Amino acid sequence: MELGLVLDGSRPPSELLELAQAAERHRLAMVVVDPDDLDAWTLAVWIAGSTDTIPVVVPAEPDVEPVPTDPATPYPQVVAHAARSADTLAPGRLTRTEPFWVRAEAGAPAPALRDLAGADGTVVVEVADPEEVARLARELGLDERPATHRSPAVRARRRPGIDYDGVPASLAERAVEPGDPGYQAVSSTYLRGGAPGLVLRPRTPEEVADALAFASRHRHLPLGVRSAGHGISGRSTNRGGLVVDVGAMDEVTVIDRASRLVRIGPGATWKKVARTIGPRGWAITSGDYGGVGVGGLATAGGIGLLSREQGLTIDRVRAVELVLADGQQVRASATENPDLFWAVRGAGASFGVATAFEIEAGPVSRAVGFAQLVLVVDDIADALVTFGEVASAAPRDTTVFLVTGRPQGGRSVVQLFGVVDSDDGEVVVERLNPFVRLGLLAQQDVRLVPYADAIGWAPDVGPEGHHGFGEPVSRSAFVDAVTPALARDAADLLRSGAVHFFQLRTMGGAIADVDPQATAFAHRHAAFNVAAMGSSHDALRPGWERVRQHADGLYLSFETDTDPARLADAFPPDTLARLRELKRRYDPEQLLRDNFAIDPATPVAAQETLS
Amino acid sequence: MTLPDYVLGTFVTPSARDARQVLDLVQAADRGGLDLVTFQDHPYQPAFLDTSTLLAFAAARTERVHLAANVANLPLRPPAVLARAAASLDILSGGRFELGIGAGGFPDAIAAMGGRRLTPGQGVEALREGIGIIRQVWDTETRGGIRVEGTYYRAAGMKRGPRPVHDIGIWVGAYKPRMLALTGELGDGWLPSWSYLPDGWASYAEMNARIDDAAAAAGRRPEQVRRMLNVMGGSFGPSSDELLSGPPRVWVEQLLEARHEHRVDGVLLATDDLATTERFAAEVAPAVREQLAA
Ligand SMILES: Cc1cc2nc3c(=O)[nH]c(=O)nc-3n(C[C@H](O)[C@H](O)[C@H](O)COP(=O)(O)OP(=O)(O)OC[C@H]3O[C@@H](n4cnc5c(N)ncnc54)[C@H](O)[C@@H]3O)c2cc1C
Repeated sequence: MELGLVLDGSRPPSELLELAQAAERHRLAMVVVDPDDLDAWTLAVWIAGSTDTIPVVVPAEPDVEPVPTDPATPYPQVVAHAARSADTLAPGRLTRTEPFWVRAEAGAPAPALRDLAGADGTVVVEVADPEEVARLARELGLDERPATHRSPAVRARRRPGIDYDGVPASLAERAVEPGDPGYQAVSSTYLRGGAPGLVLRPRTPEEVADALAFASRHRHLPLGVRSAGHGISGRSTNRGGLVVDVGAMDEVTVIDRASRLVRIGPGATWKKVARTIGPRGWAITSGDYGGVGVGGLATAGGIGLLSREQGLTIDRVRAVELVLADGQQVRASATENPDLFWAVRGAGASFGVATAFEIEAGPVSRAVGFAQLVLVVDDIADALVTFGEVASAAPRDTTVFLVTGRPQGGRSVVQLFGVVDSDDGEVVVERLNPFVRLGLLAQQDVRLVPYADAIGWAPDVGPEGHHGFGEPVSRSAFVDAVTPALARDAADLLRSGAVHFFQLRTMGGAIADVDPQATAFAHRHAAFNVAAMGSSHDALRPGWERVRQHADGLYLSFETDTDPARLADAFPPDTLARLRELKRRYDPEQLLRDNFAIDPATPVAAQETLS
Repeated sequence: MTLPDYVLGTFVTPSARDARQVLDLVQAADRGGLDLVTFQDHPYQPAFLDTSTLLAFAAARTERVHLAANVANLPLRPPAVLARAAASLDILSGGRFELGIGAGGFPDAIAAMGGRRLTPGQGVEALREGIGIIRQVWDTETRGGIRVEGTYYRAAGMKRGPRPVHDIGIWVGAYKPRMLALTGELGDGWLPSWSYLPDGWASYAEMNARIDDAAAAAGRRPEQVRRMLNVMGGSFGPSSDELLSGPPRVWVEQLLEARHEHRVDGVLLATDDLATTERFAAEVAPAVREQLAA
């Protein structure tokens, strides 16, 4: 049987809400909104907005032909539109329907309710207080139903091939399936639309192990691993598959002041990291956008606005704790599982789900120069070459990135943004001056701000989650210099209109200090990472392939092409061979494969790159 | 909870496709301490969320911010329905609801939804009757049902209540002389949009004067009508001739000037950009309030 609660609107709002929350807590089938004074629809929507899961039902009134002079009868078409809107705001939760339930007398005892409902029926009753809800739920055995219990309406939206009733108990409470109210908020990521069949949201390494055990029983489905949802190459959402979302593990704690060692959960965003440690005069280089998560970036590389000074993010990582595909919890560092530590820094997504990172922050000026310049240039190829020279010649305290798009009317708008790690205004201006040569300065905004502000302009992701849709299309390449030949091909690509976002991320400096063999990220010689985003791979390909002729390798985080040949671009032969060997050891059945999947079995003869 | 005398808030597109982003924008305004969030109301526009439904949902998801339609479409929202929904929401939200109302444009679209087609002049008169009915529904002190023998609305013994928990302001979207006069006579607020003012501040002043005259003729004080302004766009990019574009400092100057020189009691920023909303709340609103308090 199912039990529902009747909400009588003459009580104060706080009591109505407590009753609805009690109904939700005890997993009642619904609340029926039947006020005598308040507007029923307004109350129902408000209850739905104030709760997360409980279905809210408004008894339907018979349709009345509208008379424009009647001030009290709504227009049926407006009512229908309101119902559609409610379904958008709280999917599947708000219904206006003829009663399909039996209504019991207020205060009816449990046995009477059971009799009225029968085996499959629904009975609704008005109760005095939340305690009565708890008592009825207990007496009717509603509390004992497993956390996986879902109403028939929710079950109808389940996807094939998933053992929903077998979700481990530790995860059931927070698991989200398509009919659940919080579903939309967990289905998309920042740049990608998705409709996973089940999202598991572990909070501890043990729960991650439970989630991976469950995933192992679902190898026939895609599996996405998600931290903060900014994956481009990383398919941290999918259609009909599973997602393990470790976003809740987002703590940032200083564990050793003297060595500036910070322990960080994978779900933390770099904005949060920067804000937390900034006041100590510390920073950890990440990327250029504070909304990006630690989990995805610190396992892949991390080319950021302090990179020329601090190296890649992975170069600052001192230890990683992860759960392996078989559920084992391990620590990897220079002294513990060193081969895993090597692999996790550059190809981490293939080796485990990271649950904590220990990262050594670097000292940073309390205020750094943060510059955003907009220049208009006539010859984009020329400007790219100049940028290449200036950006690489700059001292290590200066990291500047370039973004441009399709030229308009023969002219390109070039945006430069970057950080000068100095709180001396004169030094900042001196460092930036050479960049102004690129073209006509149209806008400039140079400020001395805490480093956290330089990457922190990313808005917070609210409770409604990410809003990405479709699939991102992005290509990536490393280049040793912006040569005139490269710049010419890049300019042609831009003019083709196939690219709406073209970026040069400056590397070199401390990145190049590290031995290419020291981590799974081998491209230490690169001076720039080139990223080109467009709306279609097919449109992008011809122009991109010409740019790629000048390239050597790629940064996996910005590459969405799934051709197996890309693996050989991401990892040079020695690195790839070692990764395959380790994959055979750590994840032979290839459970973790949502981001540059490394095939453990076939050491494919390294395919030639497209050059 | 009464709204402060000076109000800063937002005007968010109730896009159905971006419903979650709409809620993010509402919550950002609430979190950031803005005073008011408003939505346009076009019930015949399927790409928009139903404004009454969105308002109730938004009220549930916020704690401090006030909410209003900007402005409710009277031809498709019969006055007693509107009054009851408004009062209910005011009760549920702890006194955070205001009622923006207008006579509705787009007669064809209104007719297509079953509403009646009125000339602009008739629209003003229907609004006058409508406001009367709304106030009567809220008036639960007077005994007996509501009787109306109007040209546009009729009722014989209609039920009163519920009674709002705070004095809900009725704010009118008005530009034309008759509507402005009605605003001065009956309204608690005026809600124009900057982009509809043909001569900018000169138009604002001229319309304000009409409201003043009508208020005086009705024996009311001019400050009984709150003078609002919707400003479209707004950007923290480079300064330009547009209102509210440039660094926060420029916004603060312009808002103070609007208050002091042009009698603007509140500005609603029409933006669907989260970062702009957050900065408006964090860097502009506190500075304006501080200077006004000084
Ligand atoms: C706007 C934007 C700007 C960016 N700027 C930069 C930049 O300047 N420099 C740079 O280097 N990168 C940059 N990136 C790329 C970014 O680093 C990657 O997309 C990264 O994977 C995002 O991490 P996430 O945790 O937010 O993503 P998610 O979508 O949560 O994860 C992406 C992938 O990472 C893997 N992953 C996630 N969590 C874990 C975990 N706990 N353990 C193991 N693997 C995991 C999975 O394979 C997953 O599919 C940018 C991306 C965006 C969208």
